[in-house]
Amino acid sequence: MIRRILMVASREFTTTVVRKGFIVGVLLGPVFILVLVNMIPRILNSKSPQVVGDVAVYDPSGTVIPGLQTALDPAAIAAARKARAQTPPAVSPGPGGGPALPPIPRLTVLSRDADVKAGKAWLLQDEHHLALVMLRPDAVVRPEGASDFGTYDLYVSPRLDEGTEATINEGVRQALVATRLKSSGLDQTLVEAAMRVARPNSVIVAAAGERSAQRGIARTLPFISGILLFIGVMVGGQTLLTSTVEEKSSRVVEVLLAAVSPVELMWGKLIGQLGVGLIMMAAYLALGVSALAQFALSGLLDPMLIVYLVVFYFIAYLVYGALMLAVGAAVNQMADAQSLMGPIMMLLVAPYVLTGVIGQAPNSAFSVALSFIPPVNSFAMLARLATSTPPPTWQVLATIAVGLLSAAGTVWFAAKIFKIGLLMQGKPPSFATLVRWARMA
Amino acid sequence: MDPALELRGINKQFGKVRALDDLHLVVPRGATYGLIGPSGAGKTTAIRIVMSILFADSGAVGVLGKPSALEAKDRIGYLPEERGVYRKMRVGAFLSYMGRLKGGSQAEVQTRAGRLLGRLGLADTVNKKCEELSKGMLQRVQFVAAIVNQPDLLILDEPFSGLDPLSVRLLKELVVEERARGATIIFSTHVMAHAEELCEQIVMIHKGCKVLDEPIAGLRRQYDSRTILLEPLDPKADLMALRSLPGVERVRLTDDGCEIGLAAGTEPGGAIRSVASLVAPARIELARIRLEDVFVRLVSGSAGSEESREALRTHLQGLSGEGAAA
Repeated sequence: MIRRILMVASREFTTTVVRKGFIVGVLLGPVFILVLVNMIPRILNSKSPQVVGDVAVYDPSGTVIPGLQTALDPAAIAAARKARAQTPPAVSPGPGGGPALPPIPRLTVLSRDADVKAGKAWLLQDEHHLALVMLRPDAVVRPEGASDFGTYDLYVSPRLDEGTEATINEGVRQALVATRLKSSGLDQTLVEAAMRVARPNSVIVAAAGERSAQRGIARTLPFISGILLFIGVMVGGQTLLTSTVEEKSSRVVEVLLAAVSPVELMWGKLIGQLGVGLIMMAAYLALGVSALAQFALSGLLDPMLIVYLVVFYFIAYLVYGALMLAVGAAVNQMADAQSLMGPIMMLLVAPYVLTGVIGQAPNSAFSVALSFIPPVNSFAMLARLATSTPPPTWQVLATIAVGLLSAAGTVWFAAKIFKIGLLMQGKPPSFATLVRWARMA
Repeated sequence: MDPALELRGINKQFGKVRALDDLHLVVPRGATYGLIGPSGAGKTTAIRIVMSILFADSGAVGVLGKPSALEAKDRIGYLPEERGVYRKMRVGAFLSYMGRLKGGSQAEVQTRAGRLLGRLGLADTVNKKCEELSKGMLQRVQFVAAIVNQPDLLILDEPFSGLDPLSVRLLKELVVEERARGATIIFSTHVMAHAEELCEQIVMIHKGCKVLDEPIAGLRRQYDSRTILLEPLDPKADLMALRSLPGVERVRLTDDGCEIGLAAGTEPGGAIRSVASLVAPARIELARIRLEDVFVRLVSGSAGSEESREALRTHLQGLSGEGAAA
């Protein structure tokens, strides 16, 4: 019996993984994304040409231009960038990643008069004329009774890239703030120091020890784990459905049943596609781990989470895979399968969507309850495990036990439909008919 | 020795339709049995129960000394009526897969499959995908899949349907070889001529009931022919006048003459002389008993009208014609 099951599984596995559709759609997809994830930082970090040009400024007070010249000095821009990089953000980008910045531009600040029309014409005169800054008269000195200072207008050449424009804006902001503080008699260094509060990385103190709470990307892990589970189950289940419908419609099924029993055929197919799903998930996991490594966030991924992913994939796959096998055996062509697939797809999409919510409140009564209700339980528990406040071990074990029981029950029920449905022809059955078949078998 | 197949009191019902009704059957080892009956008689259901693809509502099955075919599948070759292949698989790989599923070694199965494909004129198809083959070629491939493991019990459900005469002849030769090798063969067909040619014992099923289980030689003795075939010397001769002869029950015109049905108890020799004296014959002979005639007699019984018998006979001939033409 085992020999026949393994032979069916082996055929199911090999015919699926050598199919062009599988290689292109499932394996090359992650590989392609993997290459992109690795390439993008390198592309962005590669040297683009340095921007060299002039920035014309209309400064009615005559006090801002010196500050702007200082702020747009290449050394000052480099220092500002370094200071920002050292500020602890929500997630520290690693050395290879982080938002890529353009090379430091070499900008010359020129003074211009109030004639906007002439200023615009100046922008079009030469490709090195990059921007025109028109400071408003109240930009430095606040008018009597006004709550805010005035601002400035910026006209730019179409050749000016977004990064350099941002650098110019930041320079103008710094120069304006410095001038305003000075004119108000305030010490700029003191004000800046007073405004700065370094944000710490929070540390979770648990009985097992302390660990850094990586919020941010960590928040997406439950959702990502849900996606992985969903993709694994969908790929395996969908292939089970189509291959069973094909075997039935091509009438090869009775030839097969002369050599194997329906139960052997069903288990062989389930195991074969389980292997296919595992390969596909391994591809996406490699993608995820590589992406995390790119951003020096490998520490976010607890190896036990991968073990749990495999365990819950196994349970979810058995439940949904068995149901799809039963549907495949019950119908004669794919078009007939749609009506029966609807409820199964809802049962699959709902828990996947819920993983995002569960990730935000992993220990709420709702999340805990869902961890024990099949078929949502695998998704719910995996999402909870992926958060930085995972559930207690007894709940994990209880979810696995409930999951295995529900998988056994579903496979048992599906096998009954599978046995009868395989040889049934004619109009597609309703759910009531499927239940009747299960009683008959 | 245990029989190759034993069915005891098999009953099977699909909804309101009784597919099999208390079916008993014993097939000794090495025998060739023909399971015949019109479409819908219950033949395929009986075979599927033998193969444990379907399960009886009641009754017991014994196959090659085991209580279920599930325990003897490796020793059974089965060509189902609803047969197909993996269309994307190559012929050699398909046969190898089916052979290995039944416990054959890769090398053995490949050697035998190659030899059998050669016998059937398909040697060059080993590396072709199944979808590249014609329907007739695929049927021959499926036949090879059924016998590639040299089974002890070979069950063939309508093996010749849809085949050209040359393919039918080739497959018949292989069936004869399998019989000579010692395999027990159960051959289901609604084309009774095929059963007459290949089988030593005939089992007739009608509406789920077994109506006959006899050696073919005994059938010929038991069901003496009561039909005279006449081809008149003069094509314009009045053949319907033969109905006036004593002992003649019916006259049915055929393309080259007529069939004259005799009433029960009529002595055939005297009847032939009477017919020849009334219409000069180019050819006159006593028709050999045909299975369909036996079948008609059995299911119509003595109570059946001549019209109902004729209707059933026409139906069976139509089925035979389909099979022969296909």
